Amino acid sequence: MKNKLILNVIHRPELSPEYAEKAMAGGASVKDESLEIFRFQQDTAHKYGLKTTIQITYASLFSDVIIEMAKHDHEVYGDEIALSLLGLPCKEFRAKYHTEDFCIWMFSKEQKEAIVDDVFGLFYEKFGFYPASTGSYFLDAYTINYIKSKYPTVKCAVATCWEEGPKAYHTCNNSWYTFMDGGPWNPWIPSKVNSHCPASGIEDDSGIVAIPHLSRDLMACFDGNGSNFGTHPQNVLRGMIYYDDNGHVEYPYLYNLVDQYRHLARYNDGYAYNMMFVGPGWLNRQGRWEAPYELLAQSYDDGMRYYGRLKQEGKLVDITMEEFADYYRSVHPRYEVAECALWKDILYGSNKQYFWYADPALRTCLDFNQGGAMIDLRPYVARIPQETGIGTDNVYDASYPYLIQINYRAGFFTHYAGAGTIKSCKVRYHGKEADLCLCRTMARYEKLADGVRITANPVTVTLDGLDIVVESVFTFEEGTGKVWTERRILNDLGGEEVTFVEYFTGAFGTTEYQADMTKLTLSAGKEQMQYSYLGRTLKAAGDEVARVLIPDVLTVVEMGGEVDQVEVEEGIAFSPVYRLALTKTLKQGEIKSWLNLKKAN
Amino acid sequence: MAQSKKGKLNFRCPSCFMRDIDIDMFFDEDKKEYYCLRCNFRGEEAEVVRLNEVARYRYRSLRMRVVDFGEDNEPLKLQPHKRGEQ
Repeated sequence: MKNKLILNVIHRPELSPEYAEKAMAGGASVKDESLEIFRFQQDTAHKYGLKTTIQITYASLFSDVIIEMAKHDHEVYGDEIALSLLGLPCKEFRAKYHTEDFCIWMFSKEQKEAIVDDVFGLFYEKFGFYPASTGSYFLDAYTINYIKSKYPTVKCAVATCWEEGPKAYHTCNNSWYTFMDGGPWNPWIPSKVNSHCPASGIEDDSGIVAIPHLSRDLMACFDGNGSNFGTHPQNVLRGMIYYDDNGHVEYPYLYNLVDQYRHLARYNDGYAYNMMFVGPGWLNRQGRWEAPYELLAQSYDDGMRYYGRLKQEGKLVDITMEEFADYYRSVHPRYEVAECALWKDILYGSNKQYFWYADPALRTCLDFNQGGAMIDLRPYVARIPQETGIGTDNVYDASYPYLIQINYRAGFFTHYAGAGTIKSCKVRYHGKEADLCLCRTMARYEKLADGVRITANPVTVTLDGLDIVVESVFTFEEGTGKVWTERRILNDLGGEEVTFVEYFTGAFGTTEYQADMTKLTLSAGKEQMQYSYLGRTLKAAGDEVARVLIPDVLTVVEMGGEVDQVEVEEGIAFSPVYRLALTKTLKQGEIKSWLNLKKAN
Repeated sequence: MAQSKKGKLNFRCPSCFMRDIDIDMFFDEDKKEYYCLRCNFRGEEAEVVRLNEVARYRYRSLRMRVVDFGEDNEPLKLQPHKRGEQ
């Protein structure tokens, strides 16, 4: 299956889809429509020769019609019968649990266990076996571990919706509390400690393969509303990414998105993945926002038709979630291997390019429209044992903390004061200075024996009449938390000296707002200071290490290299960040440095 | 004056959509206009439809099909999408 797109199509029959129920005010018509939607989705996939995974909901376990439909499609088409922890709301659920909550990760531990036992037990009662696959928009480690311990047949689960966090909340008029930023964009084996983190080894392996809820646009979703930019035809309509061509609605973006996921095989040893999971509410007869039902249905048909065509052309393999779990493990024999995506803008015509990287130690993104600056960084190595749900400190916020997130915390551009989170490099000459963030470029990928190398196209910095041609090279050591950066001077500077300042401006958190920083300890060599918002600086010789300890996220950030000086700086109240920097003055050659993330003890 | 309600299609506020907020508008039957509960937008259906077209300004590749993702460090190769094709 190398170099073919591996596809999971998932359908979820609901008898009370959350959207339709409100729009249609409940009642028998909702149930009838829900059955019709499920039948339509199944028939459309089968029409194009595609196999599905049917994620049975709690509500539909009370429907003999749904159960018979699922059994029939399993026998005839080979569809998998799985169990979803979405779709909990129905009169039976409310009567039993006396709650309007519906997100499994937000319940208390006791409720999670009770609900899991209830739905798995009812599933067994109806089908005579336990499922191999399950899922929700998000599954926390506690729930996964509980499911795996009680129902070991489960090997695959939908476990996050990529970069659904503050952005989704804001888009939904601050009413949609699905905070789950910071996870992998493509399937992974979740850690037993924190489900966002890819497992570091057999002892950390939760026993399942997780898949994201939708395959999302890795550029559009970083800034914009994630729910507009995924392999979900109705999400594409939600984003108004379509146009009318003489009475025929066109959305080439959907096909471009699928194709870019196919292209990711180049960066993952021939492995490429896609999933489509359209909930029934997106196909209700009332339409969704500006899109009438006919357009919703057409777009679903077109999505399936494109997948079907790729399959016919031998470019796609459709499998069930259970089959996918086995396949994923077969092509990922080492836990350390990184998931990579060198992603190009397919929507805005910008020529921007991001490089996304995730392994058991970190997730990060480099922006080559900003010279390869690090614009997002999550310290997976810390394995932060976050709990979510009622009774914990994070009732709804399941996001994995960032150290850098340029959209939440400014990045290069700030309003005249302070600094934003980013890792980049400044070049100085004759009292002038330029940041490589302002050098737009693109990059190429290279797989190494135990890592990945990304090399940017050279850029030219001009300072006081001197052209300095710089090539940036980033090398990721898989599974270690270490990233090397080389800034190479490619031209003859005529004996002139220039200074490079490789810097990391960080913070920590899951939202736009910074928590208390006074627990941080900064050090340069043997000198250290406690963060006090005084803007102080410590410096040490170049063979020392710049370090910050961030107890709240159990992380130590270190920087060092072949440099003249290392430095740390605390922020101020108006700019609550910390800064690590390495400086080197040279006439030719390169500055080579490293960034290392460690778990704090 | 009767209370406002949803229109025949569930239009979102185009002004809010352009700042990445999805918020349903309500229809004022007396004034025959949609209005936003959050911002100050109000307008007839034709104005909403016109502004929804305007909102697409940022999608410069809206009508383009990628024909080749090209070399890593080079731009995409695109061509105009053809009606009815995938």
